[in-house]
Amino acid sequence: MYSLLFLAPAFPFAGFIWLATLGPRTARKAVAAVGVGTIAASTVVAGLLAIAFLVAPPAGGAYTQTLWTWIAAGALRIRIDFYLDALSLIMLLVVSFVSFVIHLYSAEFMQADDGYSRFFAYMNLFVASMLTLVLANNLLLLFLGWEGVGLCSYLLIGFWYRDPANGLAARKAFIVTRVGDTAFTLGLLLLFHSLGTLDLQPLMHLAAQRWLPGSALPVAAAALLLGGAVGKSAQLPLQTWLPDAMAGPTPTSALIHAATMVTAGVYLIARAHVLFALAPPVQLAVAVVGAATLLLAGCSALVQHDIKRVLAYSTISQIGYMFLALGVGAWSAAIFHLMIHAFFKALLFLVAGIVIQALHEEHDIRKMGGLRRDLPYAFWGFVIGGSALAGLPLITAGFYSKGLILWRAWSSPAGGVVLWLAGMLGVLLTSLYIYRLIFLVFYGERKTAPVHLPGWRIKLPVVTLSALAIAGGFVNIPRWLHGVPAFTGFLHSALPPAGLLHRPGMSEPLSELVAALLFAAGLFAAWRRFSGRRVPRPAAGLAGAIQRFWFADWGMDWLYDRLLVRPVAAFARLNRQDAIDSGYNAVARLHVWGWQALRRSENGRIRWYAAWITAGTMLFLALAVWR
Amino acid sequence: MNRAGFLALLPLIVLAATIVVVMLSIAWRRRHGLTLALTLAGLALGFASLWIAAPLAPCQVTPLLVLDRYSLFFFGLFFTSEFAIALLAYDYLRRHEVPREEFYLLSLLATLGAAVLAASSHFASFFLGLETMSISLYALIAYLRPRPRPLEAGVKYLVLAAASAAFLLFGIALIYAALGTLDFRRIAPALAAPSVPPAYLAAGFVLLLAGIGFKLALVPFHLWTPDVYEGAPAPVAAWIATLSKGSIFALLLRFLYSSRLLAGPAAHRLLLVLSLIAFLSMILGNLLALLQSNVKRILAYSSIAHMGYLLVPVLAGLRPAHRSLAVEAVAFYLVAYFLTTLGAFGVIGVLSTAQSDAGRIEDFQGLFWRRPLLAGIFAVMLFSLAGIPATAGFMGKYYLVAAGASAAAWALIVVLVVTSVIGLFYYLRIVAALFAPLAPAPSPRLSPASGLVLGALLVGLIWLGVFPEPMIRLIHALAIR
Repeated sequence: MYSLLFLAPAFPFAGFIWLATLGPRTARKAVAAVGVGTIAASTVVAGLLAIAFLVAPPAGGAYTQTLWTWIAAGALRIRIDFYLDALSLIMLLVVSFVSFVIHLYSAEFMQADDGYSRFFAYMNLFVASMLTLVLANNLLLLFLGWEGVGLCSYLLIGFWYRDPANGLAARKAFIVTRVGDTAFTLGLLLLFHSLGTLDLQPLMHLAAQRWLPGSALPVAAAALLLGGAVGKSAQLPLQTWLPDAMAGPTPTSALIHAATMVTAGVYLIARAHVLFALAPPVQLAVAVVGAATLLLAGCSALVQHDIKRVLAYSTISQIGYMFLALGVGAWSAAIFHLMIHAFFKALLFLVAGIVIQALHEEHDIRKMGGLRRDLPYAFWGFVIGGSALAGLPLITAGFYSKGLILWRAWSSPAGGVVLWLAGMLGVLLTSLYIYRLIFLVFYGERKTAPVHLPGWRIKLPVVTLSALAIAGGFVNIPRWLHGVPAFTGFLHSALPPAGLLHRPGMSEPLSELVAALLFAAGLFAAWRRFSGRRVPRPAAGLAGAIQRFWFADWGMDWLYDRLLVRPVAAFARLNRQDAIDSGYNAVARLHVWGWQALRRSENGRIRWYAAWITAGTMLFLALAVWR
Repeated sequence: MNRAGFLALLPLIVLAATIVVVMLSIAWRRRHGLTLALTLAGLALGFASLWIAAPLAPCQVTPLLVLDRYSLFFFGLFFTSEFAIALLAYDYLRRHEVPREEFYLLSLLATLGAAVLAASSHFASFFLGLETMSISLYALIAYLRPRPRPLEAGVKYLVLAAASAAFLLFGIALIYAALGTLDFRRIAPALAAPSVPPAYLAAGFVLLLAGIGFKLALVPFHLWTPDVYEGAPAPVAAWIATLSKGSIFALLLRFLYSSRLLAGPAAHRLLLVLSLIAFLSMILGNLLALLQSNVKRILAYSSIAHMGYLLVPVLAGLRPAHRSLAVEAVAFYLVAYFLTTLGAFGVIGVLSTAQSDAGRIEDFQGLFWRRPLLAGIFAVMLFSLAGIPATAGFMGKYYLVAAGASAAAWALIVVLVVTSVIGLFYYLRIVAALFAPLAPAPSPRLSPASGLVLGALLVGLIWLGVFPEPMIRLIHALAIR
């Protein structure tokens, strides 16, 4: 059964090859069948593997499949290995399943688009790369998947390439994540240089054996990997690309820029948790980055007008929660939230897509309103997804996953009051911004009439994800509710449980209660302010200035523009007539002169040719015979 | 001639018999398809007979011919190339209102000459092979008589080749006068004699080199090349670029290495002459092609440069220690060069019309958007000529540099590398034209025969570039006695 593992990435890859080569000449129905069918096949494989894993777990809790040797040069030996343990199994299930429902949704959503087969080709390549990333058993193969998803992200953000703005957004995403990738690459080199292998399991083993906690090498290596994770997962200070990435088609935003790719950084850190545990300063940095990001992005989400940008900032903020969990050593809590987030955030994007399509590509929530009767699926999807995001107590999955993180932020040895407070403030912000969105879009006055109503291929994914956004949390009901934390228990074969440090003044139920109260406060405030018939006017004075500041993502884009983009562009303009190039141009001109001189020798006259032969011979004769 | 000699000679005999059969069949009935079939069958049979001859190698058949693995290897290369050219020519000739069947007769005859050259160990067989080849080529170049260009090219080639053959003969006479032998392998012992007049020898070698240099289009004997390449029908140009040059090169290598002439008196001066020719050919060949606007002429100039490159391992192998690597490098490079050049001229032939051959760079403008497959093949051929990795041309060039480096011939290597960079410019210029966004004229379809040949060449090219080991193992066994 386990030997089927390679099929999980192989199916989407085969689909990509098919669609990339024959796609444009294939009928739309066949394109959809290939595009969705290969992902469905992957999902089935993932399901079978999960059953096998539960019924007959592999020896040592992990199964390795070696396909072939990719690179063999000296001490470097990179194999194409897939590694299946509890962690990668969860990732495999989440990625393949969410991809499947989103592909199904796309089959209808993208129906009218000219680039139908191109879209599915990219999406399939993305799934193949993402599965390679999560299943890779060595860091280089992981990096291959990492770059593969980055490429697909670039291609899909710029999918409607005729609009230059989309191309710019794609470039921005690629370049900003590249900054992180550079750090990641350096980290790989450092690890290989100091430990002599890139295979994940031996690498972690060696690191734990040879390195003292807190010594320079593990700190440097972990910091570099964190750089990569921060870039890919859009955390501070490299988060600026994700809101612009919303230029891509909505299913892309749902799959790549919410559910899967952007969580790759979380997965990377969880995968390399041994290394991070050896580097306490870096781990603290992970937690701080997470806490800061979740607050900053939460504030920005509060003031956006574009429905997808709200969700984008929300994604950044939620990944901040995952980083917070990683930072305090609650690895499995991070993965739990990753999974639940994949469900509800994909759901939110998909229903946002319904709204956008129904209103003729309208993105501005100030022009929406009163849609709850016209678009019931979208409305209920938003209510369920939004409540899960905000953490509606007891019912929704988000309550359980986020509650666990908050409790760990308090109780684990690396945690503390400040981190816990940041998380709690985030709960208030989350509840506020998501219900603001819901009230503005679905309540109040109807400003634009919907024209386009979804069919079954859109409804089915929405219903499925809605169910998961609720029921997904029940796999890990905490003990204080007399439940069984099965999910985190399952992950403990791959990720160590978080430590407990008793800090007085708080217990798990109490922490959950605080979260629930903050949730209710946010909901109430949003209801008071945004559920009316009139849209609240933009604030003036200081409040307005803060709003504009938050709207512009805390001025980070502005800062980077002034600090990096403009100087580089100015330098490029200054050096348009490249100073160094002029030397090469001179060389080129010299050759052209040579050509001009020489081509006169080719005049087509036979007597001239014969004369050359004779003259040449005479010259050589003289050289050879003359003494 | 004994039985073993007869069997060893079988490839040549089969080829000669094929010529007679083709001639008789033409006399009996003019059928283009039949002639092609007979030609291909004869070549296939000749190729198969290599396996009969191989166990007997090395075998000296009369003082004139030596059938060793080296000559058999080149037989195989020549037969295969002639096979490909015949198939390409079939499509090409169908578009022209000329008697078509004699083309195969003449090109087979020329192939026989080329094969004799590869196997000759004696000046007599050398000259016989050379003239068999040359005289067939005069007719082949001017084959499309109704057009002025081929006729002009044929006459130019005739006059200049005749003149250079006179140089060659005089050179042979001088060497004979100095050493008293025409047998390559007797030259080395004769050189040891104290009474050898060095001036005769040096002058003889230079004149010999003039004759050979003309055929190889080495500078300064190169001026005919672009005119003839441009004027000759595409398959004939392919023939000249590959078999004609390859056979002469095979002979040059054998002559130099078995006669050890360059180890005798006045050697360093002769070495200087040969190095000068190599330098000039590499530099001038590449410079002349730089802004040329006719693709056939570009290929002509590039062939000058490539022959210059090929002299690098030849010079490196003059010391016996480096000989085997040099032979390997030359053999591999020639295979790569044959594949690439046949492919390039094949594409030109496919694009040619009844009025004129495709040549101007505008004829290739935007080809990719009309015939992506054809343009792709052409682009890969050009990449290989430029020596870009994953093509046979890259492995070939790597071999050249390796052979040169083993003998520490740094000056030659530097010039080789620098001029290769210059070469990149004009190859990529054509590639850029292929992908330019302009599609003026419809272009002919790729017929099955040409498609098959071009596809096979492409596969071979990439195969050699990615997985050259089988070919390396094959040529590893070549050695010049």
